[in-house]
Amino acid sequence: MAIVPQSHIRNFSIIAHIDHGKSTLADRIIQECGAVSDREMSAQVMDTMDIEKERGITIKAQSVRLDYVKDGEAYVLNLIDTPGHVDFSYEVSRSLASSEGALLIVDAAQGVEAQTIANVYIAIENNLELLPVVNKIDLPAADPDRVLSELENAIGIDATEHCLVSAKTGQGVKALIDTLIERIPSPKGDENASAKALIYDSWFDNYLGALALVRVFEGSLKKGQMAKIMGAKREHQILDLMYPHPLAPTKTTEIKTGEIGIVVLGLKTVDALQVGDTITDAKNPTSEAIHGFEPAKPFVFAGIYPIETDKFEDLRDALNKLKLNDSSLSFEPESSMALGSGFRTGFLGMLHMEVVKERLEREFDLDLIATAPTVVYEVLQTNGEKIEIQNPSELPEPQKIDTIFEPYVKATILTPQEFVGNLIKLLSERRGVQIKMDYLNETRVLLEYDIPMNEIVMDFYDKLKSTTKGYASFDYEPIGFRPGKLVKLDIKVAGDVVDALSIIVPEEKARTRGLAFVNQLKELIPRQLFEVAIQASIGNTVIARSNVKSMGKNVTAKCYGGDITRKRKLLEKQKAGKKRMKSIGKVEVPQEAFMAVLKLDS
Amino acid sequence: MLLYLHIPYCDSKCHYCSFNSYTHKHNTQNKYMQSICIQLQYELERFKPSHGDIKTVFIGGGTPSTIDPSYYQDFFSIIKPYIDPNAEITAEANPNSATTLWMKGMKALGVNRLSFGVQSFDDAKLHNLGRAHDKIQAINAIKNAHAIGFEHISLDLIYNAKDDTKELFCKDIDIAFSLPIDHISTYELTIEDGTKFTDKDRQTNDSLAFFIAEEITKRGFEHYEISNFGRYQSKHNKGYWELKNYIGIGAGAVGFLNDTRLYPLMDIDGYIANPLDIKEERLGSQEILTEKIFLGLRSSIGIAKSLLNKSIRNKADFLVKEEKLTQTDTHYYNPNFFLSDEIALYLMP
Ligand SMILES: Nc1nc2c(ncn2[C@@H]2O[C@H](COP(=O)(O)OP(=O)(O)OP(=O)(O)O)[C@@H](O)[C@H]2O)c(=O)[nH]1
Ligand SMILES: C[S@@+](CC[C@H](N)C(=O)[O-])C[C@H]1O[C@@H](n2cnc3c(N)ncnc32)[C@H](O)[C@@H]1O
Ligand code: SF4
Ligand SMILES: [Mg+2]
Repeated sequence: MAIVPQSHIRNFSIIAHIDHGKSTLADRIIQECGAVSDREMSAQVMDTMDIEKERGITIKAQSVRLDYVKDGEAYVLNLIDTPGHVDFSYEVSRSLASSEGALLIVDAAQGVEAQTIANVYIAIENNLELLPVVNKIDLPAADPDRVLSELENAIGIDATEHCLVSAKTGQGVKALIDTLIERIPSPKGDENASAKALIYDSWFDNYLGALALVRVFEGSLKKGQMAKIMGAKREHQILDLMYPHPLAPTKTTEIKTGEIGIVVLGLKTVDALQVGDTITDAKNPTSEAIHGFEPAKPFVFAGIYPIETDKFEDLRDALNKLKLNDSSLSFEPESSMALGSGFRTGFLGMLHMEVVKERLEREFDLDLIATAPTVVYEVLQTNGEKIEIQNPSELPEPQKIDTIFEPYVKATILTPQEFVGNLIKLLSERRGVQIKMDYLNETRVLLEYDIPMNEIVMDFYDKLKSTTKGYASFDYEPIGFRPGKLVKLDIKVAGDVVDALSIIVPEEKARTRGLAFVNQLKELIPRQLFEVAIQASIGNTVIARSNVKSMGKNVTAKCYGGDITRKRKLLEKQKAGKKRMKSIGKVEVPQEAFMAVLKLDS
Repeated sequence: MLLYLHIPYCDSKCHYCSFNSYTHKHNTQNKYMQSICIQLQYELERFKPSHGDIKTVFIGGGTPSTIDPSYYQDFFSIIKPYIDPNAEITAEANPNSATTLWMKGMKALGVNRLSFGVQSFDDAKLHNLGRAHDKIQAINAIKNAHAIGFEHISLDLIYNAKDDTKELFCKDIDIAFSLPIDHISTYELTIEDGTKFTDKDRQTNDSLAFFIAEEITKRGFEHYEISNFGRYQSKHNKGYWELKNYIGIGAGAVGFLNDTRLYPLMDIDGYIANPLDIKEERLGSQEILTEKIFLGLRSSIGIAKSLLNKSIRNKADFLVKEEKLTQTDTHYYNPNFFLSDEIALYLMP
């Protein structure tokens, strides 16, 4: 690797709304720099996880160090590709804290979307140089001028200096690199100071142990040096250093001021490598740690339970291992009468929840049930005590409750104006209060609403998409707690309350929700040997009921003579299928039932 | 001990049928009947029956009535020493090929029970099923069998073919009971891979199953297994459900000895060439228990309590409480055979 001075280093993140082409643009930049051979190249090469490749979305930010020559001079480009989905904006914040600039990508056909705006604000908070990049100019529907004017109107950024590219064809990519070198400032740290490096990501490698991805702000880290992790107050020797690369990180002996790199300390756990912590020299530590990050704050909680009750310890193990890869994950043991022992798990959103559950099942070979996600409530009790509730079944008796406070978010929605009517209807059904309605131009409207978070964890996103033919985009941020008229809805199956099915709902919607829930469950619970009564109740009042009739016949009445094995194998297969259901008392409840509440029309 | 002989020949292939039988291989019959004797000798060594041990013989198919009685002679001579003098000896017969001559020949060899594949007495339905006979042929064949002196006569019916109705079954059952039979098997149409039939050719109508069972029992036949009713109950069938040892002779004819299931080759030519090429499957105690549970639930045999561990006993007792099972001091019984799979799934470990 060439030795380059700080003045020739550029650290930048690529930010955008979901699917606007960040990872594809990263591909082109990587190729332009010759960092991955054509033979090894694949689409979205920075998306290394299977689940990212399958879904075509980025979940984890990824860094790469690139070499580039401009006007005969060698430059080092440290590129961070970030996720666009709102659930993963924690990844964006951390990436931007280690960059001097950001490429703000906007899809030339779609224009500014909700996460475009949200990400710009994170960049502005971090004092970053923003370079507007209009991508997908190869599309027939591309309209760069409209997009640029939206950028100026919606966010008020100056878009006179911008780049037009197609990440698909590579058009404009070289000019983009040249421009970013001009525009984005170089790092400015004191090279002779004691080492000061920010841990902006960490993960676990089966061979190398816990790894820290750092940005060095002052001084340098050297192989063999005794390093101190300031917050954790631990000292370890640096066993190895590497420059990040999606396919093949390269070893180095020193990471200098302004650079990024991977630090190998040989640790068995990542406890000591919390993101946001500062690494310095053990003998001559820097006086002040870098101001780190707020830990990720989970918005939604759900119980995660193994279907086979004896897999609880396996699940604990799996969660601990996954946390090494996903610092935003939080969990605590809990137990449910219906589901046994499991974990109350906090997520950054619904997609995050889906991804975590899928990774746990796939990477650790577990069969899991997730209960319906819920937000956190604050309950002021009549005795003056305030408690936090992450699980509806924890709600105190009604007579002990003074006020329930529910979390609100500020929702930002961008939509073509023809759908404004539909959206206003949807948002008011969801108890939203309009704060703002701005026309970005004649055709695009920005809506801002205060809305209870409870109303958006359920099926809101799907509804939003279906009511706007997929054109609206949506972002939200928490804005604190407000009192609400809320009640707990319990579900009884065969006479017993199934705690894992309880939900907290606005009083005025309790009856319709209860009915819909009972009907939904009736469809989902298959006929069994016994009639199964399903009831929804608030306190002791039953508000809806239904029955799953008992099964009359289940048999194959065929002649099979002596080939009894064949019949046995068929039954064994069916039995294995039944084992994937959860037995609650005498009733077998399929996994989907626990998520049924998500599909309720409110 | 039971003995089953498989005859893998048919005159034509019915649209629903996936049984191991061939319509264009009749020229191999001579060799086939020699091969079964080779296998039979071998199995007698393996099963070591003593005198009179073989309590039932069942000749099934395919269509046993496609083969001339003379071809069965060697088979009967070989088993003679081991056969109980009161043995139940059944042959399946199709109405179109069970001629008076054939039936007389079989009777002379010792066959005392005939099971006719009737399927229906409705000509349109017979046509749809691809059967090679009509209602009249079926009625006549059964009457002839009686006249010739067969003690026990059974017939098979198929239900829940597309458009089957209660009316149709009222007629079929009336005709059946006007004939000299002492047993009926009713099978629900199952769509099998590799047949002409698809899901479009069947219907799901659970109430028809209950209706048929009621109509037949009303006329005095006991419902002793999901598909079987009789004034006389087939000992051979019951033997399977009690997991007795059975010798299986012929292409694809499964055998069972203690804990091992035996599988000769399915393919006729393969079997003729290598009648002793027999695959074995050893069953674990768990698998045998599962089989005893579901077989007991499908029939009036029931489940012996002594077989069950505590946890299964508890579940069974719960089902007794819920009136899904009945019990005696020693056994659990299933009062509704049509639920037997569901109950088996509930009890199975
Ligand atoms: N036509 C065209 N399609 C593009 C271009 N850039 C990206 N795409 C397509 O847009 C889709 C999304 O691209 P990605 O690179 O995965 O988008 P992303 O911004 O990384 O998405 P997230 O990481 O999930 O937020 C893919 O199907 C790309 O092939 C472009 O310049 N032109
Ligand atoms: C071993 S078969 C052969 C009997 C004889 N060859 C005949 O068809 O007349 C015995 C019975 O199984 C039944 N059977 C065959 N295939 C079936 C299917 N796919 N579904 C339901 N019953 C079937 C028929 O009632 C048939 O009579
Ligand atoms: S049902 Fe009987 S006659 Fe028809 S093909 Fe099958 S075995 Fe042969
Ligand atoms: Mg991406």
